[in-house]
Amino acid sequence: LTWEVKANSRHYHKHKQRKSFLCFTWGRYSDNVVRSHKYSLLTFLPLTLFEQFQRAANIYFLLMVVLQCVPAISSIPWYITIIPLLVVLSVRGLKDLASDMARRRCDSEINSRPCDVLVSQFMTAQWKDVCVGDLLRIRRDQIIPADLLLLSSSEPHSLCYVETADIDETNLKYRQALGATHNELTSHPSEEALGAFNVVLCEEPNNRLYTFRGQLQWQGECFLLENEHVLLRGTVLRNTDFAYGLTIYTIVLSVLLAALLLAIGAGVSSYQVMTQTSFLSALVVDGNPAYNGFLVYWSYIILLSPAMPIALYIRFEVIHTIHSKFIGWDLEMYWKQTDKPAEARNTSLSEELGQVGYLLSDKTGTLTQNRLLLRQCCIAGQIYPMDLSWNPFSSGGLRMFSPTLVETLRGQRCPVTTQFLSALALCHTVMAEWKEGSPVYQAASPDEETLVGAARELGWVFLSRTRDFVVVSELGATRQYQLLALLDFTSKRRRMSVLRDPEGGLKLYCKGADVVILERLQKNCPHQESTEMALELFAEACLRTLCIAVRSVPEALWERWSETLALSAAMATCERDTLLEKLYDEMERDLLLLGVTAIEDRLQEGVPETIALLQEAGIRVWVLTGDKKTAVNIGYACRLLHPESRLLEWQELRQILQSADPQVSFFKAKQTELWATHKEMARAKTSVVLTGSELQAEFEERPEWGASFMSLAEQCQSVLCCRVTPAQKAEIVKLVRKHTASITMSIGDGANDVNMIKAHIGVGLAGREGGQAVHNADFAVSQFRFLQRLLLVHGRWSYRRISLFLRYFLFKTCGFALVHIWFGILNGFSAQQSLYETWFIALYTVFYTAVPVMCMAFFEQDVSAESSLKFPELYKSGQKKELSSPRKLVTYLLYAVYMSLVLFFIPCGVFYNTAYDYQTMAVTVSMAATFAVTVILTKYWTKFNIAALCVSVVMFFICTRITHSTRLFQSSPVDYFFLVSEKAFIDPVVWLTALLTAWTAVLPSVTFHAFNVILSVHNKHKIHNSSPPPVELTSRFARGSSLRRSSYAISQGAGPGRLIHSATSIQRAEALKEEKVST
Amino acid sequence: MVKEEQEESSNRPDNTAFTQQRLPAWQPILSASIVIPMFLLIGAAFIGVGVALFITSRDIQLQELDYTGDDSEHPCFKCRTNTEKCTCSMTFSIPTLFKGPVFFYYGLTNYFQNQRKYGASKDDNQLYGDLDYFTNPSTDCDPYTRDSKNMPIVPCGALANSMFNDSFSLSHTVNGVQKIVPLDGKGIAWWTDYNIKYRNPTLNSVFFSGTKKPTNWPKPIYELDTTDVYNNGFINQDFLVWMRRAALPDFRKLYRRITHDDYADGLPAGNYTLTIAYNYPVHSFNGKKKVVLSNVSWMGGKNDFLGIAYIVVGSMCVVMSVVMLIVYARFKFAEDV
Repeated sequence: LTWEVKANSRHYHKHKQRKSFLCFTWGRYSDNVVRSHKYSLLTFLPLTLFEQFQRAANIYFLLMVVLQCVPAISSIPWYITIIPLLVVLSVRGLKDLASDMARRRCDSEINSRPCDVLVSQFMTAQWKDVCVGDLLRIRRDQIIPADLLLLSSSEPHSLCYVETADIDETNLKYRQALGATHNELTSHPSEEALGAFNVVLCEEPNNRLYTFRGQLQWQGECFLLENEHVLLRGTVLRNTDFAYGLTIYTIVLSVLLAALLLAIGAGVSSYQVMTQTSFLSALVVDGNPAYNGFLVYWSYIILLSPAMPIALYIRFEVIHTIHSKFIGWDLEMYWKQTDKPAEARNTSLSEELGQVGYLLSDKTGTLTQNRLLLRQCCIAGQIYPMDLSWNPFSSGGLRMFSPTLVETLRGQRCPVTTQFLSALALCHTVMAEWKEGSPVYQAASPDEETLVGAARELGWVFLSRTRDFVVVSELGATRQYQLLALLDFTSKRRRMSVLRDPEGGLKLYCKGADVVILERLQKNCPHQESTEMALELFAEACLRTLCIAVRSVPEALWERWSETLALSAAMATCERDTLLEKLYDEMERDLLLLGVTAIEDRLQEGVPETIALLQEAGIRVWVLTGDKKTAVNIGYACRLLHPESRLLEWQELRQILQSADPQVSFFKAKQTELWATHKEMARAKTSVVLTGSELQAEFEERPEWGASFMSLAEQCQSVLCCRVTPAQKAEIVKLVRKHTASITMSIGDGANDVNMIKAHIGVGLAGREGGQAVHNADFAVSQFRFLQRLLLVHGRWSYRRISLFLRYFLFKTCGFALVHIWFGILNGFSAQQSLYETWFIALYTVFYTAVPVMCMAFFEQDVSAESSLKFPELYKSGQKKELSSPRKLVTYLLYAVYMSLVLFFIPCGVFYNTAYDYQTMAVTVSMAATFAVTVILTKYWTKFNIAALCVSVVMFFICTRITHSTRLFQSSPVDYFFLVSEKAFIDPVVWLTALLTAWTAVLPSVTFHAFNVILSVHNKHKIHNSSPPPVELTSRFARGSSLRRSSYAISQGAGPGRLIHSATSIQRAEALKEEKVST
Repeated sequence: MVKEEQEESSNRPDNTAFTQQRLPAWQPILSASIVIPMFLLIGAAFIGVGVALFITSRDIQLQELDYTGDDSEHPCFKCRTNTEKCTCSMTFSIPTLFKGPVFFYYGLTNYFQNQRKYGASKDDNQLYGDLDYFTNPSTDCDPYTRDSKNMPIVPCGALANSMFNDSFSLSHTVNGVQKIVPLDGKGIAWWTDYNIKYRNPTLNSVFFSGTKKPTNWPKPIYELDTTDVYNNGFINQDFLVWMRRAALPDFRKLYRRITHDDYADGLPAGNYTLTIAYNYPVHSFNGKKKVVLSNVSWMGGKNDFLGIAYIVVGSMCVVMSVVMLIVYARFKFAEDV
């Protein structure tokens, strides 16, 4: 514990303040200024250069430039490479600079946020002025500016609630001040008292969010500090009027230093490179033959460098940008309600969209609207449907439920019904917050919020909660219930109970999953059968169900039970949990079933269709959800799981994986089933359902299972992972990425999906949950169903266009550059002799051949958008990388070799042993090359394509005439010494040779396409005739064990109940510990 | 209505053909009935051109005389290794009238004029008559920039230094009497060369003072043709022809044309004697020297290759179309069954 913080003593920390100059920093305590920007005026140039030269391509081009600056080996003028390189570097640099400026603006916005700092009294200051040791007052809904030690808050027991959406999943977290500080500050609420704290000792700043060790020295005593006492920066204070905190950590800056050191290193090494090159050029003078060979080698490298021109690089950027723009421009992906078009935040991934093999999706907010509705409920065996259009967020409109229910309620005729609603209003951990005269509920679980909200709409209004009381208005009559115990929801128990004391009587309300509740019912419980029927019914409708039950607790039992509880609560932690579990079990029995609620987690529009379509397109869809196994319901609802498909659960999967040959036993396992007639069907209809913890536990033990699991998963239609924490989501994404060659895409909407979005392609759903996911995503869409278009239309086109482009481009440049090798045979391998005029080399990729291929890369469509969606199978070619397979590339390279052979040897044959000079031949070959690459087999000729084609050819003639013009020669004889086109362009032999060469060069590809045309007639017929015969299922067994899929999706882990109810006891325990320390 | 909506929401993408990727486009729907005739047509066209070229090329007359003298029987054998001035003569006969205008070429084989270092070894600025480069030639010319006394060489460089210096004369034996066939050396170089690319400094020899002739040359550049100002110095036609590099190691260069009135129709049938002033050594690199007499057509000199290549490629197209037809027919047949 070396980090020392003295409260309210700025001068103490000031002189140790961290300062920095250039890359040197000293001092311990940093200020609170966010500096996420990378560059300053001084560091921009070295840093940006350093970053850019980390790319291999840039290094390569730099090498080319350097080589060309050595006169002994330069074969083409230096400016041919350096100008594009400079363009690339400066464009990227400017782009970096712009985004850095944006970061700066964002930083300064954050830095100037206001907060209250105690300087003799509270004054408003800006975030950046906060320093270690400052005492801050945070108001409701303010963002916490630095890591604070919570001293006290306005709430009882100095509890306070923070929303940690920025950091991890659970939205509301509970923080509590130290008992000592709480007592002191609430008894003497003065600013002097606040300033009187002494010294906090704690760990050095680190990035472990969930642990914290420290101690507070105060009034001669020493108190232990834990994570619970700390308010982290970036979280938001909720439901608490204000809280006082002591700043313990401010921002740590460490990034800059490392980067700058590296930049200096790069500078040094580039200097070394420079000296080396001058050394090289000095050696050349010697004329040693070995060196000559060496130089010739490098010259060839330069001469062949146009095969991979830097222009390719620029062009890729342009194409990607245009493709991204197309995504943004698409009206079909524009969401009118939020006025948001789709957005490609990362422009360089558009072709990967066409090759996605795995889609990993978050559920809540992504597949579903995250808007829970109480659709139906079953009270005392009777089902009451609720109106669909009811919105839980509107507190006014009461247009819901069946009139019969209201009547029953109003008449107070049925005690079960009232009990049911009381249970809804009482048994929860929701916090009520009053805003404009009506309560606003805040809950850790949306299900609970929905239920409490529903109870309110029906007249049972949960008004407020204190530690010991819950205030409820029952049809206008306010009643106060005493809260005796809150048996918290845990992942094991799947239930939650409240004991209460109405007018003397003790009652236990319990809600939980049907499995748990039903086995704890008293014997001969009324309505059990009809309720179970209702459960089946709800499950069929894909609703999430919860059972509500009640028990009257005898006074004597309670007395005895609470004593045991108090005893066991003080015990050591490991035993305590099991003991408590047992104890709770004792209490929750002989329950009387009240009813069932059925909540609908509404799917977003078009989700089932989209998932079905994507699956048809061969994309394996995985859904990762924080919800429990009950998310299977959603799986069925959104057609992720097929009703006929068999669910492979973990136990079974484990057995398969354990067996020697997982593949075989997997098939065996399937074959034992009778539900499908042939194997192919069986494969398609298997789905895996897992929970995150199972997965993680196993794979940590046996990492080798990862591969076999993935190979199994590949056989399955879909995978559903439940109860996955954000970290596990990221793990799963990693697993998939590791064991499959396909592109993985993940989609999520909330801050908790940020980790997961770091797949190959991350898609953020611009929904209601903050912008976190979107900010981290590569693409942002507003609706899940837009994925259809994003993948099947834009992705597919983009992939096609880019692979066609790349292929064609390589063909074009290699065919062009390889000519030099053949020419080398006939010029004594004097590498530096270019067959072309230098200007032609410079302009070839830029003017003569660029535009048509670019147009193809922009506009090519093999099938229209509608057909792309209609025939999702078309997408599969991208997944198999059919267009960009190495085989295809090799074929094209071979074709390029062929073209270069033709380009050289036909003119060579014509000009051999004739009086034609070298320059005429150069022009002839250039002309042939230009003609040959102009033959683009586009299937989609827009006016731009045609114009581009014409312009390119015309450009060749115009530019050649210009560079061969007398005037330019006169101004610089050395640069423009080709004065040949005037004569060559009217020579019939030149034309005839060029035409023949060009046609011969393209003959293979034209023939190939022609054969394709002829064969495709045949294939089309084949496709039409070979639609698979429908497979009939021999028997339709019910899937899984139970059709009932109950759910209770309260967020994971121990809930807040402990804090709400037993705050005092914790404090006591804490105090005990603290005393131990101090003595 | 729609417009208003668009104005309201600024984020709404434009609904244009371009942004929605609905540009009207011509999507050629190719079918066998287009592709096969197309191939056939192109093939036929190529064959047609090829045949025309071949016939034209065949009509061109060509007389090639190797005078390297590798063979000991050869009259020029004695000159092969001779370093001093040596003259030899060869006789040949022309059976029929050699139609004019007749072009007189010299040819070299295995001579890599397209070698980079060799070809770049000249100073374009110097040859353009820029006096700065007379005293200070470009280093491209190394090692023929300066002589042993460090005097600048004009014209510098290997290319100029190795200028072809054999000379020829042709005589026609008419009734036992040798009659010299006048050779016309005018306009054998490219117009752009002697008008634009190469220029003499305005006052001739004055500016060449302080410079040296290329080491292999017998006389300085300004004495190449003292009789004609417009054929002297850098714009000497023979020099220009030599300086225009050949593309490939076997090449011809135009030496003279036979345009004299007596031979306006061409060279009549008969015996001819070619007298060669044999200076240029090719023995060291296994080169061959020859003299070529040829007449020209619209497509230039004799060139069988082009015509044959056209015919070959054209027939390939035709063959391809036949193959396509067979394939197509078979599938069609298979479907019908």
